[in-house]
Amino acid sequence: MSNTVKKDQEPSKLRSFLNSDTFKGMLPFIGLVVIIVAMNIMTQGKILTPKRLRLLLSQVYYPMIVATGVFFVMTLGSIDFTEGSTLGLASIVVSKLSFISIPLAILGGILTGAAIGAINGFFHVKFKLQSFIITICTMYLFRGVCAYLTTETAVPASAAIKALDLNWLKITITVGVLLVAWFLFRFTRIGNDVKAVGSGEIAARFSGVKTDRVKFLAFVAAGALTGLAAFVNVVKVGSITATAGNQLETQILISLVLGGLPITGGAKVRFSNIIVGTLMYTVLNNGLVMLGYESQTQQLIKGVIFLLFVALTIDRKALKVIK
Amino acid sequence: MSDKVLLVAEHIDKRFGITHAVNDVSLTINAGEIRALIGENGSGKSTFSQMLCGIYTIGGGTFTLDGKELHCRNQVEANNEGVAIIVQEMGTLSGLTVAENIFLGHEEPFMHMGVKDTRAMNKAAQRLLNEYGFERVKASDMIDLYNFEDRKLVEIVKATYMKPKILVVDETTTALSQNGRYELYKIMDAIRADGRSVIFISHDLGEVLTHTDTISVLRDGEYIATVQTKDMTEDDLKRLMVGREIGTAYYRTDYGETISGEVVVSVKNVNVPGEIHDVSFELHRGEILGFGGLSECGMHEVGKAIFGASWDRTGSVTLADGTQINDIPTAIKHSIAYASKNRDVESIIINESIRNNIVLPSLDDLADHGLLNNKKLTAFADKYAAEMQTKMQNVNQFVSDLSGGNKQKVVLARWIGKGSDILVLDSPTRGIDVKVKQAIYGLMADLRKQGKSIIMISEEIPELLGMADRILVMKDGRINGEFLRDPNLSEEDLIAKMV
Amino acid sequence: MSKTIEKLKASRYYGLILLCAMLLFFYGIFKILTPSNFGSLSNLYTYLQSSIIYSVGGCGLYFIVVMGLFDFAVGANIVLSSIVGVILAQKYGYAGFIVGCLGCGTLIGFLIGMLYNSLNVPSMIVTVGLMLIFESIAVYVAGGVKQTLPENLRFFSGAPGNIILAGLAFLLMYFILNYTKIGTYCNAIGSNEFVAKNMGIDVKKYKLIGFMLLHFFVGIMAILTVSYGTTMTALTGMSTMSRNFQPLMGTFFGVAFRKYKMPIIAIIVGEFIITIIFNGFVALGAPTTVQNIVTGGALLAIVSLTARGAKGSVVK
Repeated sequence: MSNTVKKDQEPSKLRSFLNSDTFKGMLPFIGLVVIIVAMNIMTQGKILTPKRLRLLLSQVYYPMIVATGVFFVMTLGSIDFTEGSTLGLASIVVSKLSFISIPLAILGGILTGAAIGAINGFFHVKFKLQSFIITICTMYLFRGVCAYLTTETAVPASAAIKALDLNWLKITITVGVLLVAWFLFRFTRIGNDVKAVGSGEIAARFSGVKTDRVKFLAFVAAGALTGLAAFVNVVKVGSITATAGNQLETQILISLVLGGLPITGGAKVRFSNIIVGTLMYTVLNNGLVMLGYESQTQQLIKGVIFLLFVALTIDRKALKVIK
Repeated sequence: MSDKVLLVAEHIDKRFGITHAVNDVSLTINAGEIRALIGENGSGKSTFSQMLCGIYTIGGGTFTLDGKELHCRNQVEANNEGVAIIVQEMGTLSGLTVAENIFLGHEEPFMHMGVKDTRAMNKAAQRLLNEYGFERVKASDMIDLYNFEDRKLVEIVKATYMKPKILVVDETTTALSQNGRYELYKIMDAIRADGRSVIFISHDLGEVLTHTDTISVLRDGEYIATVQTKDMTEDDLKRLMVGREIGTAYYRTDYGETISGEVVVSVKNVNVPGEIHDVSFELHRGEILGFGGLSECGMHEVGKAIFGASWDRTGSVTLADGTQINDIPTAIKHSIAYASKNRDVESIIINESIRNNIVLPSLDDLADHGLLNNKKLTAFADKYAAEMQTKMQNVNQFVSDLSGGNKQKVVLARWIGKGSDILVLDSPTRGIDVKVKQAIYGLMADLRKQGKSIIMISEEIPELLGMADRILVMKDGRINGEFLRDPNLSEEDLIAKMV
Repeated sequence: MSKTIEKLKASRYYGLILLCAMLLFFYGIFKILTPSNFGSLSNLYTYLQSSIIYSVGGCGLYFIVVMGLFDFAVGANIVLSSIVGVILAQKYGYAGFIVGCLGCGTLIGFLIGMLYNSLNVPSMIVTVGLMLIFESIAVYVAGGVKQTLPENLRFFSGAPGNIILAGLAFLLMYFILNYTKIGTYCNAIGSNEFVAKNMGIDVKKYKLIGFMLLHFFVGIMAILTVSYGTTMTALTGMSTMSRNFQPLMGTFFGVAFRKYKMPIIAIIVGEFIITIIFNGFVALGAPTTVQNIVTGGALLAIVSLTARGAKGSVVK
């Protein structure tokens, strides 16, 4: 059924390959391999020792859980800046409830996150306010609540919950979250609906997608998963200060962009963006620490790599006007 | 019209990737002439004129205006050479005052060493507005305070105040009410009287025949002919545009069939604030119900109201089984389909594949216990895209690559696949070339025979006369007249109820 | 009756009335709740002096925000420019201080604009990346130590110095918006970039100018900020993110009141209202940690009232 007759000579095979979606889809994977290999060479193989890998993994769990939730929001083409303060507040709730019962603590964390997500979603959907503005407001608000609750002292967690700092448990939770999210994204309406809203919200509404509900639920999901991640965080750190989860939102944004998630969301989003992106960020972070760079040098390198990656992977076709 | 040649276009050429949009077009336009440029969609008429106006770069060949070769890189440079354009879509910018809009890109006369004399600019703009008879528009106001029609008038002032030697009017009239069109025709006539020229691009052949001197026809990017308007009829022009006799299968030919008494949708006292008032009617089984009127008469909102897509609607839309339609998901679930006039925004998701566009409303039907199967979705999309003879590479191609006609085929494929019994088609053939038009009319006749009910909302009167079993004419948000299918029904009968 | 209201709503005075009403409302609430330690004339004067610092940044951000762009590197540049300014001030006095802050500020704006134009990436993303980079550069420049503004160079740390400087910034803004093409073109680009391009506007150039103007104002803000606080410490870890938002609030006010043709007044009054609310809470005995809650809540309320999308519009 093809009616396109190729009249022109292709400009250059290499060039068209570099601009193709296939290459752009592969780029995050290539990037991940390159960064691992480069770090391995620069640290003379130290980064791939079992001990290091375990440490590396321990830093992947909660960002990956959070990124999974934010992935749905960013597929809508929206953005969520509240992860950091949500994690902080949910961690406080988890810690306080951990003295009563562990399951209650986990549930409390998830509900706290979901509630913040619901607030974001409500304002975004009902008042038609841009998500990045809303979530900046609520980020401020809940960061303030966190600070208020920890004004006097840090909030300690129970010994029982600290005893759960077990790798198998954290792996199970993380893998479980990823599998469930992947399943929902790939094999149910949810994935289609979220992508449809990201690509063309009005047309999606006219095709029977309950756009407002989809958007609201995506924010609730992002919040709830951040709340779950708070449990993993509490287990690891044991006591919560005002800075818990500080700047997590920027870390997640950078991770997902490194993973190749187009900032416009929509049809070209891939689930692998979450895994590749979070791994890449963590490897980069660890490698730079191991190489003994000062924090400002580490940050400089991260910034440059981030910009480089965005410039290479972004889908400029979907952005009619670049804002 | 004088014999003095104003514009000479020689061997104009333009390619977009593999598409040869304009292929070696040469033509001349005399001073004091209104020249229509017509052709099917994709015939290259807009591309041609936009190269003239500096919106596109010239691919090959030369434009010579008044003996001087043109090399404009943008609209402002074109303006300075004496070429101006009024575009189809919104050409004025929000957030700017009326005066800033009129003089955008031409601030130089008001600049003194980098400082802008705002007061003088407002004064000059107001003087121009008054000259055109648009006193009600205040130059120092924000343009945001005015409605679409007034903003279009400001745009006309902006395009014509510097007395261009040649003015391009690119499908502007589709966006204007009868009043606005009248203002525009007046200005075109004034330009002709002044010995300057107009290039008038329109799909509305009636308008072309009454308001131009000569007509140039383009087909598939190639120049076909230039003819004298007075020698032409609509059928002659259609023949030139498609290059063949359209034949009798264009519209339905049957007359005298009775409409079924079975009511499938009954609409009672529907109001949408600012759009429609107290609209009530019934749609019968196997009926094509036409809605006609001027573009702002509210008929487009009627389509949305039936589909549950209107904001703040009151009144009721009830199906035969008593179901109330108040939202889109319910409408779709109960077999209502809707194809919007605003196809690229409301009907299809541009940045998505053909496949995902076709399956979207049917996802619940295609899922097994809530689970989706990729192969099944692709097979479904393949089947209905093929049924509609959509021209594409495969269903994974993005809709953004398709022509207007093929996009509409994707929209229809989606609803045929969904098996909808009630189809609300708003301007189904808008901006679509004659061949696809014919296919759509054929499809509508078939669907009607299968007992499906169609509401066809259209601004094209011949289409209503040719296809509908019954026509409701709207005016100012209310139903103003009803006509049954009849070979003797004329355009004038309908127009009388519209204005 | 309704027609008169319609007419009033369209007039520019309506915006002014709305702003004053909001100001009086919040002032009134706190004055009633804590009449003794809130809202005396000298209190108000103090609030004004801290709020105008943010208003200056808000004016700068206005150029970028009306174009539909965004900038997260404002905070990083406040830190970087004030450190550069202070270091130069230690050697060259006021000249070094002012030239350092303004020069460094504008240069950073130039870099952001150039990079944004050449990478073709959304500004929100570019500036997140650049924020990381500028923060680390600031640490290098500061040499990892706290930089203190010399005692003898503190003209701008209180009235009248700070008010004069901020006033000059507002006048400059007024001039640019009303008596140059820049204001018109920024609005045009924000409204429809394609049409703007077709009208012969060099979009890239004006986006670059927008970023440079923003960061020139950020430079002024750096002077005021470091004068007010007298010291500046550079930190990494995206610590400057929070500095972006106080100026942004004023900008939101400005954009919301744009249709009344009075963005600058709206920015100044808007920032003042936020400061009043914060100080009102402090007067009520809330700990200073409440500041973020107030900021967030107030911002949420403002945007809910002013920046709502129309029914059926697409908001991301």
